[in-house]
Amino acid sequence: MLIDVFQALAAGLLVGGTYGLMCVGLSIIFGVMRVVNFAHGDFMMLGMYAAYYLVTGFGVLAFLGPYAGPIVGAALAGPVVFAVGWLLHRFLIARVTGARVVTAEAEGHYAQIILTLGIALVLANGGLILFGSQPVSVQTPLSRQSWEVGEILFNQARTVAFVLAPLCTLLLYVFLARTTLGKALRAAADNPISAAYVGIDVDRCHRFAFGLGVGITGVAGGLIASTQSFQPYIGFDFVIVMYAGVVLGGLGSILGAFWGGLIIGVVQQMSTLVLPYQLQNTAIFVVFLLVVFFRPSGMFGRAAERA
Amino acid sequence: MGSRSATAQYLGIALFSGAYLLLGFLVTNSYYQLIMTLVLLWATMGLAWNMLSGYSGLISFGHAVFFGLGGYTMTIVFVKFGLTPWLGIPLGVIIGVFAGIVIGFATFRLRGHYFALAMLAYPLAMLYVFEWLGYQEVTLPMMREQPAMYAQFSDQRVYMVLALALTVGSMLVSLAVERSRFGMSLLAIKQNEAAAEAAGIDALSWKMRAMVLSAAMAAAAGGLYAIVLLIVTPQSMFGMLVSAQALVVALFGGVGTLWGPVIGSVILVPLAETLHAELGNIVPGIQGVVYGLAIIIIILLAPEGIYWRIRDRLVARRAGEWAQPVERAPTGEAPSTSARPRPPRGVIAQPLLALNGVSRAFGGLKATDDVTLGVVEGAIHGIIGPNGAGKTTLFNVVNGFLKPHAGAISFAGSSLVGLKPHAVCRLGIGRTFQVVRAFPRMTVLENVIVGAYAAAATDPQAERNAYAALERVGLADAQAHALAGALTTQQLRLMELARALAARPRLLLLDETLAGLGHDELADMLAIIRRINQEGVTIVIIEHTMHAMMKLAESFSVLDHGRLIAEGPPAEVVKNPAVIEAYLGKRWMDRAQDPLA
Amino acid sequence: MLRIRSLNVSYGGLRALSDVSLEIERGQFVAVVGPNGAGKSTLFKAISGTVVPTAGEITYNGRDLTAVPPAERAHLGIAHVPEGRQVFASMTVRENLDMGAYTRNGRARRAELLPMILDLFPVLAERRDQLAGTLSGGEQQMLAIGRGLASAPELLMLDEPSMGLAPAVVDAIFERIRDIHRAHGLTILLVEQRVVEAIEACDYGYVLETGRVALHGPYDTLLSDARVKRAYLGI
Repeated sequence: MLIDVFQALAAGLLVGGTYGLMCVGLSIIFGVMRVVNFAHGDFMMLGMYAAYYLVTGFGVLAFLGPYAGPIVGAALAGPVVFAVGWLLHRFLIARVTGARVVTAEAEGHYAQIILTLGIALVLANGGLILFGSQPVSVQTPLSRQSWEVGEILFNQARTVAFVLAPLCTLLLYVFLARTTLGKALRAAADNPISAAYVGIDVDRCHRFAFGLGVGITGVAGGLIASTQSFQPYIGFDFVIVMYAGVVLGGLGSILGAFWGGLIIGVVQQMSTLVLPYQLQNTAIFVVFLLVVFFRPSGMFGRAAERA
Repeated sequence: MGSRSATAQYLGIALFSGAYLLLGFLVTNSYYQLIMTLVLLWATMGLAWNMLSGYSGLISFGHAVFFGLGGYTMTIVFVKFGLTPWLGIPLGVIIGVFAGIVIGFATFRLRGHYFALAMLAYPLAMLYVFEWLGYQEVTLPMMREQPAMYAQFSDQRVYMVLALALTVGSMLVSLAVERSRFGMSLLAIKQNEAAAEAAGIDALSWKMRAMVLSAAMAAAAGGLYAIVLLIVTPQSMFGMLVSAQALVVALFGGVGTLWGPVIGSVILVPLAETLHAELGNIVPGIQGVVYGLAIIIIILLAPEGIYWRIRDRLVARRAGEWAQPVERAPTGEAPSTSARPRPPRGVIAQPLLALNGVSRAFGGLKATDDVTLGVVEGAIHGIIGPNGAGKTTLFNVVNGFLKPHAGAISFAGSSLVGLKPHAVCRLGIGRTFQVVRAFPRMTVLENVIVGAYAAAATDPQAERNAYAALERVGLADAQAHALAGALTTQQLRLMELARALAARPRLLLLDETLAGLGHDELADMLAIIRRINQEGVTIVIIEHTMHAMMKLAESFSVLDHGRLIAEGPPAEVVKNPAVIEAYLGKRWMDRAQDPLA
Repeated sequence: MLRIRSLNVSYGGLRALSDVSLEIERGQFVAVVGPNGAGKSTLFKAISGTVVPTAGEITYNGRDLTAVPPAERAHLGIAHVPEGRQVFASMTVRENLDMGAYTRNGRARRAELLPMILDLFPVLAERRDQLAGTLSGGEQQMLAIGRGLASAPELLMLDEPSMGLAPAVVDAIFERIRDIHRAHGLTILLVEQRVVEAIEACDYGYVLETGRVALHGPYDTLLSDARVKRAYLGI
């Protein structure tokens, strides 16, 4: 029995790594910019399909072989999703965000919520049209192999994803902390008015940050793509998971979001010890509701946002 | 809203039903008949969504939870216990109502996007639960004998009539809500919950009622939907698309009106269904794409929906004639209204409003620091102080928006501490806010009626009180029926004042009512405030326009950094060194005292 | 250098500024005082571009400022130290100063300006790696001024730097502002509620009252003018 617990824990950690990266992407948008993006799960879905088509579907990266291919595919999924996000922000989302629009925060959020829901529907169903409803996944021999440590099995594809996810997070962190552009992004999110006073083009920063946020989640999607099968509607499944992770980690904290996602992954896998597997996401919802009711500031949140 | 007569609305509904039935008889293709039925069902779902989210502004993405519970209840009792849907659907409604109460209590403490996210979670959770329970796909058995007893009909049009009955019923309920204080209260909550509370509206109570009605309608729609399609799956009952459709038809057609979901459904559902039928094989997600695009287009171009867009165009032409400049308030005899007798001058009366050692801090900052003051009945008392002195915080503490960390507040002998703002209002304290939030599409009268509910038991009484309040501030009949969106700032301030007066308060808290007004407008406003005071209303006013205050208030309390630094008649207070220092700085005083400077 | 003519700003029908005219010569220290609600902050926001005037003109070095987008104005040499400090709370002191140096000129002169700022405000050097949101009010004010200086401005605008600060701290801050003016000849526009501190420090002052310029003149004439007191206290 104990071995089952450890196995679930191991699986949870592995899955949680990529969830963490996924949540980091959302945290840039929701946690830092306070933009509500209901379509975030569908951007992840786009990342998954981008990786799929690059590696398996069109075989563009086939020359890299079955081990390096999926990794590069996941990495390239980032810029693809970044571009889509950038365009969507430029033409649609910018019209409901930013200092010029919002007279009261609640009103701004209303439009953001509805607009991104519309985008979510279009992306998911558009995906259905373009990609079909058959579940696919990125083929790599790693997904069928496992390393054994003691009696615990570590699925190789998931382990690779688990290693890469924190690496990406670290890269992002360094980008935001050290580079001028990264600091400008943070300033624009922290205080858009002051940012304008020091000469930062806040609109462009928000646009870049949005693209970055969805791009990161796209990379996470690319990583997950080789560990499980997916179909265009998978985004909706993940929206609550992502928000749960970000809220648990604490709004405004990007590293916190990573931990939040990791914990959510563990909760999900360990819930299968006591719940039937179909209800694993229900366990996440319960965690989400508990956090939002009792500790809206999460673990590392900077402002106690009264939900 | 209420400016259209009830008769017109009933007539509209009757016409709609008649036309629909007629069309239903003419259409012989059973597939088109099915679409007509579905249009009505989604219109009902839209009305259900509207009842909660449209009227009150709390966006729900989770109405599928009620829809699914209604549908599955009916299905399960039918399949397992053979209970007829005629009973199963009402049972589903009861379950839906119960779910509404539970969800309401749990989720109403959340705001904005957290509310929306939580609502999103509920149906998804239900979906997983039902999949786990094994209800992947449940087909309702065909009852060969006595199909009518089990609500199964070979002629699709019977379903259409049932659906029409449900839709019309929902429309009538929505109409009743819109025209009553229920609807007005929800609208007030939507526009500015704080102001609504201060006007005496118990927000939580009204929201719960809206949630319950909304859940009932959605559950009924779900039950009927299941009977029409004869097959239920977790995805089709609890899925994202269900919640989305409820939202889209209402949003597209018009939020906050009973006609919106109907218009939206009539336009969008046939469109989506036809596309799905024609192209569904080639482009399987076409329905979702259509709905998604509809949402995006409408939120960017006509955020409140088609109905309002059209109505705005039509009404704007008429309303322009009505909004006239405010007539100068007659400075003559005050009309006899509910004048309370003023205490004779010279008698030191118990203060009507008494604050004792009241303190309130935010983090480490003491916004209100040990304030003790008393306002005698019938007085006009000014609260002044430099920027950031804590004046509005003081009002918020008296009003109930903030709890004092220390001290006592009493009004006419009873303690105010711990009371919610609407309860404070009902005790007789009215309040205006710095930023006036009017309901632009409602008339001035409707805006004011919202404030009247706290003191009027019936709706007609509320209307009378509202009229009386408008007269007291000098907004004549001509303005009463003008749309609030067309008013000037001064007129808006007067309307805000009327809204506070409509509850017949004993004490009025005025927050910077005079700010930014020009010379003539200021004179008008001062005259009106004095008149209201002579009619018996005690006034406490925050201002920093000193010239005006000097002419208006009989006594001042001066705050600086949250503390009371001076109190007394204006002429004295203004010479008080502490006050001068607070406004002009310490160095001014130093220089003033040093004749050699 | 900065010229404002007949400026009118309205919010929803209310006149925040009516027919305001103002002039600042290079190297001058100009103060704008007046009671709360007089329109001082609105004036500032019109210069930074946060608020669009309904009428009137603003020219900077001969150039029409209203045609320049707000974020560009910083690059022209206008530094705005906002009301209430508005530091980047989630970033460190050092990063805040880096952000100040975002402008073209700021980046070019970074090496010389940063030590100057730290010299002027030693407490910032001490707390270099502390999060700006955790600083005291006075320290944040110094940081906001430092951030403004880091952009290598021609015109430094300060919006009510004394707001919410204890009197002793206010004195220290005004000392520094006068130092900056004396030592570096920087053109300064100061908006303040506290009359004496502002007028004593300035060369020329304007008194705003309900959106209009009630009086203006060199600092010594203003201080003895009874109309100043009337603007604040009504008598």
